[in-house]
Amino acid sequence: MTDALNVVKANTARAGADLLRIVRINEEIKRVVAVSFKINIMALNAIFLAKRAGTAALGFGVLSNELRVFSQDLRSCMESLTGLIHGCVDEVSIVLKDIRFTRLLSQTNELTTSGLVLPVLEHREAQNAEHERRLASLRNQLKRALEDAFRMVELGGVLAKSAKIEAAYGQGFAPALAQVSGEFDGIVEEIRGSLESLRRSAFFSGH
Amino acid sequence: MKTTKTIFQDGNHKWVAIVRDPNKPGYIVDTNEYLVTHGGRGLLLDPGGAEIFPAVFSALSAEFDPSALSGIFASHQDPDICSSLALWLEFNPQMRCYVSWLWSSFIPHFGGTAETFVAIPDEGIDISLEGLSLQAVPAHFLHSSGNFHLYDKIAKILFSGDVGAALLPPSEDTLFVEDFDKHIRHAEGFHRRWMGSNEAKRRWCERVAKMEIDMLCPQHGAIYRGADVQRFINWFDELQVGIVAA
Repeated sequence: MTDALNVVKANTARAGADLLRIVRINEEIKRVVAVSFKINIMALNAIFLAKRAGTAALGFGVLSNELRVFSQDLRSCMESLTGLIHGCVDEVSIVLKDIRFTRLLSQTNELTTSGLVLPVLEHREAQNAEHERRLASLRNQLKRALEDAFRMVELGGVLAKSAKIEAAYGQGFAPALAQVSGEFDGIVEEIRGSLESLRRSAFFSGH
Repeated sequence: MKTTKTIFQDGNHKWVAIVRDPNKPGYIVDTNEYLVTHGGRGLLLDPGGAEIFPAVFSALSAEFDPSALSGIFASHQDPDICSSLALWLEFNPQMRCYVSWLWSSFIPHFGGTAETFVAIPDEGIDISLEGLSLQAVPAHFLHSSGNFHLYDKIAKILFSGDVGAALLPPSEDTLFVEDFDKHIRHAEGFHRRWMGSNEAKRRWCERVAKMEIDMLCPQHGAIYRGADVQRFINWFDELQVGIVAA
């Protein structure tokens, strides 16, 4: 097998692996979206609970409201990540098609003596480079969006921990408030875990 | 690499068969491609699948300047017919693809734009190649529901797509049918299974029996010439098709 064909084989394997990684990232994003929806419902219940607790849970009520806003922000952040993921799927699919066409055109070039194929192959390679550049740009955008989501979850974590502290001042409602704030904290940690695993994805590191 | 054989020539009017690649992997069905040239322009008939594009292109370019191809004729929609379309268009994006209207929105999945396709109506059309008139002959349901053959009344050649096809063992893969009775055994199973309608087959036989045909060129297997053309039409007329044991 020629070096060119070995390169094509390696590129195909890399693009195929990228596609698989994108699918996994998308599944993880779907999980985060589902969990952030759960926070929204929980925060709504927590607001009602804080209302019932009255002045003793004023701070808890404010934090619950903030957590509700956080869950909504997180969902829209995840929606933009999903948009980027779809863009990546499109580009990786194009790259896979490019690789196949380049392989076939390279073989044609090897079989043809007229030199007729060379300009077409060069044009194809220029297009391939453009598609690779677009994919790299999307990869960077996705990485940045993921960092934004991570920062948002840091804030969510602070809110959940503050809610835990506020729960202690809830007098007769303290046990119920502590349970709710503990659940908040658990869910935010779950999201953090998901985002950590996304950060580690080989789609970003390339290996 | 495939080889090219000129099967008809009269001045700049030529039919070239692009056949038999000894390096083709065995898991890919063997196909024949045909190039019709006239007045310096060319029409490629059933250009083949993407995987055999290097072999077809290199063989064709040894014979003819590929940038002078003005179009592709696709007898129907199968991948072994024209999944290489996008690669041909890389060389000449202006190239047109003639195909049944039935498939003109399906074949773009292989490549091309809205401008690429010329939809052939069910009754067929005449395709002009630098003044040479080629007739798209209806062959619907043989085997595809939107299927055309291409007739050149000057060369007296009918390109018959899958009709007449035979899956030949390597020891018997001659360009022309040499022994009809021996050859037709390799065509029988194919026609019984692939051709879905006895009525469509009868109509096709009646239609082509009226044509002057010196060569009947299928997309797989060997070319029928001379008396073997009528012999094939008679054989096909008698064959019961569209039957499967299961």
